[in-house]
Amino acid sequence: MVEQVEGTRTHCPYCSLQCGMQLHRRGRETTVAAWEEFPTNQGAMCRKGWTSTALLRDRERITTPLVRDPATGTFRAAEWDEALDLVASRLADLQRRHGHDAVAVFGGGGLTNEKAYSLGKFARVALRTSQVDYNGRWCMSSAASAGTRAFGLDRGLPFPLRDIEHTDVLVLVGSNLAETMPPAARHLDALRRNGGKVVVVDPRRTATADRADVVLQPVPGTDLALARGVLHAVVAGGWVDQAYVDARTTGFEQVRRDVATAWPELTERVTGVAADDVRALARMLGEAENVIVLTARGAEQHAQGSDTVLAWVNVALALGQCGKLLSGYGCLTGQGNGQGGREHGQKADQLPGYRSIEDPAAREHVAGVWGVDPAGLPGRGRSAYELLDAIGADGGPKGLLVFGSNIVVSAPNAHHVSGRLDALELLVVADFVMSETAARADVVLPVTQWAEETGTMTNLEGRVILRRRAVSPPQGVRSDLEVLAGLAGRLGAPAGFDTDPERVFDELRRASAGGPADYAGISYARITDEHGVFWPCPADDHPGTERMFLDRFAHPDGRARFHAVSHRGPAEQPCGDYPLYLTTGRVLAQYQSGAQTRRIRELGDEGAFVELHPMVAARVGVGDGEEVRVRTRRGTMRAPARVSTTIRPDTVFVPFHWVGANQLTNDALDPASRMPEFKVCAAAVEAASDGPVGGVADADASTGAADGLPTIRPRSARPPARPATAAPSASPLATSASAVDAAVTSPCAADADATPGGVDG
Amino acid sequence: MARERVVVVGNGMAATRLVEELVARPGADLAITVVGDEPGPSYNRILLSAVLEGTHPASEIALQDEGFHRDHGVTLLTGTRVAEVDREAREVVLEDRRRLPYDRLVLATGSIPTLPPIRGLVSPDGRLHPKVHAFRSLTDCHRLLGAVPDARRAVVVGGGLLGLQVARALSVRGLEVDLVEGTSHLLSSQVGEQAGAVLRQSLHRLGTEVHTHSRAVRLTDEGLRLDNGYTLPTDLVVLTAGGRPATALAKRAGLYVRRGVVVDDRLRSVTDERVHALGDCAEHRSRTTGFVPPAWEQASVLAGVLAGEDRTYDGSRVVARLRATGLDVAVMGDPERTEGEVVEVANPVTGSYRKVVVRGGVLEAAVMVGDLSRVGLLTQLFDRRTVLGRAEPGMLLMADPPAVRAALPDDAEVCACAGVSAGRVRACADLAAVVATTRATTGCGGCATTVRELLGNPDGLVPTR
Repeated sequence: MVEQVEGTRTHCPYCSLQCGMQLHRRGRETTVAAWEEFPTNQGAMCRKGWTSTALLRDRERITTPLVRDPATGTFRAAEWDEALDLVASRLADLQRRHGHDAVAVFGGGGLTNEKAYSLGKFARVALRTSQVDYNGRWCMSSAASAGTRAFGLDRGLPFPLRDIEHTDVLVLVGSNLAETMPPAARHLDALRRNGGKVVVVDPRRTATADRADVVLQPVPGTDLALARGVLHAVVAGGWVDQAYVDARTTGFEQVRRDVATAWPELTERVTGVAADDVRALARMLGEAENVIVLTARGAEQHAQGSDTVLAWVNVALALGQCGKLLSGYGCLTGQGNGQGGREHGQKADQLPGYRSIEDPAAREHVAGVWGVDPAGLPGRGRSAYELLDAIGADGGPKGLLVFGSNIVVSAPNAHHVSGRLDALELLVVADFVMSETAARADVVLPVTQWAEETGTMTNLEGRVILRRRAVSPPQGVRSDLEVLAGLAGRLGAPAGFDTDPERVFDELRRASAGGPADYAGISYARITDEHGVFWPCPADDHPGTERMFLDRFAHPDGRARFHAVSHRGPAEQPCGDYPLYLTTGRVLAQYQSGAQTRRIRELGDEGAFVELHPMVAARVGVGDGEEVRVRTRRGTMRAPARVSTTIRPDTVFVPFHWVGANQLTNDALDPASRMPEFKVCAAAVEAASDGPVGGVADADASTGAADGLPTIRPRSARPPARPATAAPSASPLATSASAVDAAVTSPCAADADATPGGVDG
Repeated sequence: MARERVVVVGNGMAATRLVEELVARPGADLAITVVGDEPGPSYNRILLSAVLEGTHPASEIALQDEGFHRDHGVTLLTGTRVAEVDREAREVVLEDRRRLPYDRLVLATGSIPTLPPIRGLVSPDGRLHPKVHAFRSLTDCHRLLGAVPDARRAVVVGGGLLGLQVARALSVRGLEVDLVEGTSHLLSSQVGEQAGAVLRQSLHRLGTEVHTHSRAVRLTDEGLRLDNGYTLPTDLVVLTAGGRPATALAKRAGLYVRRGVVVDDRLRSVTDERVHALGDCAEHRSRTTGFVPPAWEQASVLAGVLAGEDRTYDGSRVVARLRATGLDVAVMGDPERTEGEVVEVANPVTGSYRKVVVRGGVLEAAVMVGDLSRVGLLTQLFDRRTVLGRAEPGMLLMADPPAVRAALPDDAEVCACAGVSAGRVRACADLAAVVATTRATTGCGGCATTVRELLGNPDGLVPTR
C-alpha cells in the first residue's frame, strides 16, 4: 500500500461549486484526490475535476509574450520588458490622442478575487478609464440585479448549498445542475430521501429533470409568465402568507393586482405549460412548510432575465419563504468565481465590496484605500456587450485589454463582436493558451493558471475559499498580478500594485470594509481553518454569515420588495423564416467557451451538436447523427443532429462550448442587467446533406467564412512557439465553424482556448 | 398646446389594459378620463366563474383600483352611466347631465347578456323574476352566490362556454343542475356534434343533465317548462345564452354599427376618426370576438395609435379555453368553418375527442375535449402558424409511445460524471470495485440505480433514454 502523502488542498478550476480537491505531485505528474472534509462537495467530483491536471502538462501553453509583426501579420516571441513597454506606450498614446476612455478593460468571472480587484483598480487608477466590465455580465448579472432590487443585496445563495437537502420543495428554474455542477445533484437525491420534492422547469427534459418529481417544460423565454401564473394560483388558493408579507415586505398589493391577469389558462397559452400543471405546482408550493426556489442561466440569460428572477422572487416572498431557515430564493451562480468576480470592482458600475461607483461615500472610502483623489475616479462605464459593440464607433474604445475571457466564443452575436475586435487599434490578451480571442490579439501575455497560483474565490454559496499553488508555473509565465503591476508602473500609476496575492487580499479586505460584500474579517488563515468563510464578515472576531436575511433584509427599512413585472416575451419570436426557438447551454464534459476542457483528451471533445425532437427531425428530413444547418438572423452553423424526445418539439438546443452557438445568439439586452438574450432566439433548421459530415465549410456559413481572420485583417494567429507537430484534437464531427477557424488560424485553434471565460449555462 | 383629452367609456378588462398601456408610455401626454357604469374597481371578468365555483376568492379579482388611476393622473368615474355622445360638440354626456369634452373617445362598453324569449322571466313590475339570474358582472355573481345556499336545483339556459362553466360551478357547489341548449349539441358555435356528444357524456358523468334541441319557453311555479313538454323543477335559472356587443350608445351617436361598432385597422370608427372602439363592442373586419386576449392585443395597438405611433391591428388568433373543474376543453380558431384537411381522433370510451384542421401544413383550428395532454404545444403551433411536416398532425393527436426498456450495449455511457460505459461496470465484481476502478456513482450519484441493476443482472433490461 502506497503511503498517502498529504496533498495541496485547493479547488477545481471550473464551475462555481468550486469542489474541494487535493493535488499530489509525483515527479512531473500531478494527480487529483478527493478532499472529503470540504463541506460543499464532500469529496464528490465530476470528470472535469478528476481530469483537470491534464492541463498542467499541456504542450500548447504559451510561455513567452507574443507580439504581432505589423509587416508580416504573424506573431513573434518577445521579452517581457519589450512587450510590456510596447503595451504601455501604445495605451498611453491612445489615451493621449483620444482620452482615457479610449482604452477598455475586459475581465472574467473565473479570475480570483485578488485579480478581479486589481483589474478594477488598474482600470480606474492606472488607466483612469470608466470602460471596464467582464463576462460575468453574461452570466448571472440578471440574478444579481434582481437580488439587489428585491433584497437590497445580491449573494447568489443566501444559505449553504446543503440546506436544500432539508427543505420541502425545491424548484429549479432553468438549471441543469446534474450536468453543469454534477456533485450538487447529490443534494437533490438527499432531499428526496428526506421526503422532499424536486421541481424542474426547463424546456428540455435534462439529466436534472430525470431526478425530479415534477418537470415542467415551458416555451423558452416564458419563465416569467410561468412565475406570474403560479403566483396567481397561489393567491387563488389562499396560500399567501399575509402575516409575513405585512411584516417583512413592501409592494405586494400591486403585485397581487397584477397577477390577477395571469390566470392559468392564459399562462398555458403563453408558456405551453398546461393550466392544471400550473395549479398543481401552486398547490405543492402552497401546502409546503419550506420552499426553495433557485434560478440559473436558463431563467436569467434573457432580455427580461432580471424581471424573470423578480417574478420568481415574488412567488417565494408571497409564500413567506425568504429570510427563513431552509427556505427562500437563490441563484446558482455559474462561473468559478462568478460570485466574487462581481463584488470587487471589475464591473462597470462597481467598486470593491459590492459598492456603487456612483455613491460618493463609496468613492471616498475606496480612493482612501488606494491613496488617490476620489474626484479622479472615473464614473460608470459601458456594460460588457455595449462596450464591445462601441469599438470603432465615435467615442468607443480603441484599445482593449482582455483578462480571463474568450470573447470570440462567449459573446452573443459573436460574428459581429469578432468584427468589432478587428476594428481595434490595439488588442492585448492575457491568457495561458492561444484562445480564439488571443489569436486575434496584437500582444499576447502568457499568464499562470489555477494550480500554479494562489488566491481566493467566492463560491456559489458566498463562501470565500482559497485556491493554493500546487505546482510551479512554466518558465516565462507571469501571474496576472505581475502583469498588472508591470503595466501600472510603466503607466506611472499613482497607486501601488502588489504582486503577492495575500497582500492584495489584505488590501481588498480594507477596500471592502463597510461595503455590502464585506471581507474585512476574512483572512487566508481563517479560510484554511474554517473550510471557507461566508461574507459578509466585517471583523476578525465575526463568524461570517452562513445564512442571510433571517432577521432583516438589506434595504434600509429591512424589508424585501415585491416588484410587479410584466411578461414582454423574447425579443425575437419564431416566424415563417425562422420557425423554431433556439436555446443554448452546457454539456457535462465541457466548461464555458470550451476553455480548458476542449483541450483535455480524457474529456472526449465530440464537438457541438444540434438537439431536436423527432417531429422536427422528420419535418426537415434528418436522422440522428446526420448533419443539420442551424440559421438565425445573425449566423449559421452546422453540426450533427441529436434526435431526442426530451426537448420541446418547437425548440432546438445547441451547446455553446464551441465556436458556432454564439454566432447564432441574440444580442438583445436586459434593460436592468444588460444581460444578452443567450437563451432564446428564432432559428431555422435544415438538413445539410450537401457536404460531407463535418470538416468542410458551408458555402453560406457566414459565421465560418466571414469569421476567417484574413478577410478582415491580415493576422495570422499561429504562435511561433507552438510545436509544428501539434494536431487538432477536435473530432471529425467538430462544427464547420470551428473547422474553418482551425483551417484559417492554426491547426490548434479549434481546441485551444482561454481561461475560464465565456458564459455559463 | 393643451394635453389631448381621451375619454374611455367602460372600465372593463379592455379599458383597464388600454389605460395601463397608455400610462406606461412616458411620451404620451394625455389627459385620460375613464367612465365605468359598474361600481368599484375594474376586475378580471374571466375569473367570475371561478369565484362562483369557489376556486378563486372574490377578493382577488380586482385589477386596478382608484389608487392606480390617481397615481397616474387618470380621472376615474365609477358607477357612472354615459347618456349620450355629442359628436358635434365632442362631448360625452353623463346621466347626471355633466359633460366631458374629448379629443379622442374610446368605446370599451363590452357586451350585454341577451334575454331569451321565455315567458315569466320578467315580473309585471319589469324586474327579473327572483329565481332568474344573469351572469355577466361581479354584481350578478354576488347575487347568484347569495342565492346558492338556499337552492337545491338549478337550470342553466345556454350550452356555450359560459353555460358549461356556470353549470359546473353550481354542480361543484352541490346543486343539482340541468342544462338547456336549443341547438343539437353543446358548444355548437365552436365544435361539431361529435365533440359536443363527448362533452355531454362527460357532464352526465359529473352529474349534470343536458337537454339539447330544447328551448325553455316558460317559467312557472312548477319550474322551467321546455318546448318538448318537460318541466324542470328548479330554484334558480341562470341565463347564459349569449351576449351581444353593447352598441346602443354608439348607435344613438350615429356611428356605423353592424354587430359591433365597425372600426378600421387603427381601431377607429369608420364614421368618425375621433372615436375608437375595442374589445367586445368592436367589430373589426366583420369579426367580434368576446375574448380577452384579442381585446388586450387591441388595447396595445390602440394605446400606440393614441400615442401617435404607427400601429395597426390585423386580427387575432383565438383560443377558447374552458375553465371548469373536471371539464377539459380547448378550441383554437373556428374548427367547424375553417377549410382544410381534418385529422380527428374520437374516443367516447375515455371521453376524449381531438381534431386538428391543417391547411398548407399550418394548424388553422383545433378542438380538444377530455384529453388536453398536448394543449400547450398545440396552442404554440397554432399561435406561431408553424408549418408542420406531413406526419405531424397525426402524431400530435396520438399518445406518446411508452418508454422502452432495452439492454444497454457495452459501449453505452452509464456514468456521465466519470465517463464510464456499461461494459466497464459489467466487468466489475461489485459496487466497491466499480467505485475503485471507474469512479462511477461518486460524482452526481445519478447512475447508482443503473449501476446496481447492471451488477445484479448483467444481461437484464435497464431503462434507456
